[in-house]
Amino acid sequence: MFRSPIKRRSDGSYRFGISPEERRLVADVVGQLRQLLLADDPSLARLFPPPYGDDAERNAGYAALAGSELIERRLASIDLVLDTIEADSLSQDELEAWMRSINDVRLALGTILDVDESERPATDPDEATSANLAVYQYLGVLLEMTVRALTH
Amino acid sequence: MSAPAPVETLDPEVTDEVDLDEPWVVIVWNDPINLMSYVAFVFRKLFGYSEDEAERLMLQVHHEGKAVVSSGPRHEAERDVFRLHEHGLWATMQQD
Repeated sequence: MFRSPIKRRSDGSYRFGISPEERRLVADVVGQLRQLLLADDPSLARLFPPPYGDDAERNAGYAALAGSELIERRLASIDLVLDTIEADSLSQDELEAWMRSINDVRLALGTILDVDESERPATDPDEATSANLAVYQYLGVLLEMTVRALTH
Repeated sequence: MSAPAPVETLDPEVTDEVDLDEPWVVIVWNDPINLMSYVAFVFRKLFGYSEDEAERLMLQVHHEGKAVVSSGPRHEAERDVFRLHEHGLWATMQQD
């Protein structure tokens, strides 16, 4: 029977038993996310939705107030992931930082891949796209296991 | 019952003042990337919804394309939108 590598312990901490290869992959993709965040890269637009519909003036006001704070919080989550990249035990705050950062990477990758709900890209994938898609799908599995551990 | 005020005849700045007291609703929109379990977890965590209520709202987003997840004065709605954006959900706000 499948046993999740992420499991809540009775003391409130989480057993975090993913493999070294998986940790290297996560370190790599969140590192890339950090670079995109610092570069204010347009491919991350999905991470910063305009909240006021067509009201450009209010959207700009929100972006001026909240934009840099949203970036700061994302960078802080990435720092927490990288600080605990080899940990086999995580606190709830640390596991939630992993959850948010993995989700952010999925949002960026999913946007680039233009996936639909079947997790397939809109066009026939070339080699680079296939590799991105494999990472996207793996991160989906890791995120699902993380949410399940946090929920139960 | 009284009819709603004819907003279009008001000076825009006056409209802003008047609207301060009208409640805003926070809407989460469906997207093909966020996992259903993740969306339900975020609703529980941010708004303290029960597991059943969070599941119901998540399914409403999934099937109907959107759901109202909170409402209140503009500054509270904006705070909720911010926290949803922090968690990568597609959230907007509008006055009802």
